Amino acid sequence: MKHTGAEILMRSLLQEKVEVIFGYPGGANMPIYDALYFYEKKLRHILVRHEQGAAHAAEGYARVTGKPGVCLVTSGPGATNLVTGIADAMMDSVPIVCVTGQVAAEFLGSDAFQETDVIGVTTPITKWNRQLTHADEIPEAVAKAFYIASHGRPGPVVIDITKNTQFEKAEFNYPKNFYIKKLKTVNKFNNGDIEKAAEIINNAKKPLMLVGHGVLISKAEKEVLKVIEKTGMVAASTLHGLSSIPFDHPLYVGMLGMHGNYSPNKLTNSADVLFAVGMRFDDRVTSKLSEYAPHAKVIHIDIDESEHHKNIHAHVPLVGNVKDVLKKLTPLLKKNNHVNWLNEFKDMDKKELAVEKNKQIKNKNKLTMDVVLSLLSKKTKNEAIIVADVGQNQMFAARYYKYKNPDSYITSGGLGTMGFAVPAAIGAKIGAPKRLVFAVVGDGGIQMTIQEFGTIMQEKLPIKILLLNNEYLGMVRQWQQLFFEKRYSFTHMESPDFIKLARSYNISGEKVVERNKLDSALDKFINFNGPYLLEVKVEKEDNIFPMVATGTSVDEVRLE
Amino acid sequence: MKYTVDIVTENKPGVLYRIAGLLTKRKINIERINAYTVKNNGISKIFFTAEIEDRIVDTLVKQIYKIIEVIEIKYHKVSH
Repeated sequence: MKHTGAEILMRSLLQEKVEVIFGYPGGANMPIYDALYFYEKKLRHILVRHEQGAAHAAEGYARVTGKPGVCLVTSGPGATNLVTGIADAMMDSVPIVCVTGQVAAEFLGSDAFQETDVIGVTTPITKWNRQLTHADEIPEAVAKAFYIASHGRPGPVVIDITKNTQFEKAEFNYPKNFYIKKLKTVNKFNNGDIEKAAEIINNAKKPLMLVGHGVLISKAEKEVLKVIEKTGMVAASTLHGLSSIPFDHPLYVGMLGMHGNYSPNKLTNSADVLFAVGMRFDDRVTSKLSEYAPHAKVIHIDIDESEHHKNIHAHVPLVGNVKDVLKKLTPLLKKNNHVNWLNEFKDMDKKELAVEKNKQIKNKNKLTMDVVLSLLSKKTKNEAIIVADVGQNQMFAARYYKYKNPDSYITSGGLGTMGFAVPAAIGAKIGAPKRLVFAVVGDGGIQMTIQEFGTIMQEKLPIKILLLNNEYLGMVRQWQQLFFEKRYSFTHMESPDFIKLARSYNISGEKVVERNKLDSALDKFINFNGPYLLEVKVEKEDNIFPMVATGTSVDEVRLE
Repeated sequence: MKYTVDIVTENKPGVLYRIAGLLTKRKINIERINAYTVKNNGISKIFFTAEIEDRIVDTLVKQIYKIIEVIEIKYHKVSH
């Protein structure tokens, strides 16, 4: 029996066990939406308010479920509005499958209404993309898209389906046990490499593990703990590695990078072994490359071969899935401890804590972002999912919320997309309905995707939005203060009454302007049954420290 | 340094565009390029020559290899 391309797409999505679609209808995907009308019960559709929101929501969904998030949008502006989200997913290795409508095949290249060369536009920011002009191409393309998005290093894919394809009829034959050889064999390390890595670790005096997003993607949290507990190796995390090791683990020393903790940045340059586990030595982690970890032998696990030696030369590159590599490696590691080395970190932590304490004394009775996040952490027993936006709010959320469970800190790391948090929190809440989900945003970022309040309203999603309002684009202002002699060039921002705005979307809320109201406001915020916006008027010129300034070495990290 | 990169790929639309994109991203200009299909087995061969910094050539070639359709890739320095 023959079916329309649109119907074939629905059946293909069900074959891939898709449950949720984030989308927006338009001229060039109307046949698909017409088919979706009959699948309403099997395929939950979330109508976003802007296509960028669909992509970020799909990312949020993928980050908490590990399954590809799905977007469905129309041609032209529908597709171009997705672009920021696709680029974001590419940078942060998030599996999303984007289906874009396209003008009918006969009009391709004619500058038809709402025609954009979507394949051309998305090629540099996708793992794979394909334009379909016949209905019988759909099943294999969908199978391929999902396989590619979720195998090897995850990432975004685009299927661009011309309108005639959606109407055209064909048989539905879904490929069985589909695979792509290239992505099936991801483990390319050999026993010799594993032995070499084990020998280096066994002889290390000052070993430091750097855990990244790859630990969470491959669900290797337990394997990581086994390695550090057996060897006594000290471990620090990248921004995306946060929550892979519980904050209170005795061998965990905090976050790396530009606004990471003091000790792991400072002591990177004393380490004799760096064991990089599913991370890519991003410039926000390494800062000045020529002065990064000069004494360290580097063992680097990454599923993506092209990451080895890209920024940092690896003495032992291990190509493979983090979990598989660690399982092979652990039996060869000797039981050990590095108490003196760990104590070097503890001593430095004291310096950071002292500075923090001074700040707290100075800011007593003031509303600062660190206080808000610390209290939120405590009051939610460190168990919530925090979806952070970009800027100071993101860094305070990374540093002051204490992450206990995996997949609990979600943010836009690589692309640094302001406006990420609200739509990504929508996807995260839909993917993990039983967990408390907080979007942590600033007054700048929230206004980039604030229309998604409409999506929250329509879907009645009990998402909690923590708005840290300092009336500035805070991170840029901080840099202007530190590096541009306080010339606050266009970083002050006047905003609407966010509480009233939220209320018009049926989102309850409260604004806190005094420190002594914070506790009770947070309690209400956390316990409220339904969507809620808590706006905290924080100190206008608060800064996030420690900080590794651009162009300086990690050991020049500043405490204040 | 001048390098020639030899690529064997599935003959699918967009592969050359992906390769060119990876070069454009690093402001590399192709000096010579040759591409053709191999009979009827769905395979294409692409050869290009370009000035590429020694320190990035290996990473660049691995990034090209990440293109799903690319089957094989080799590179060598061009001697004058």
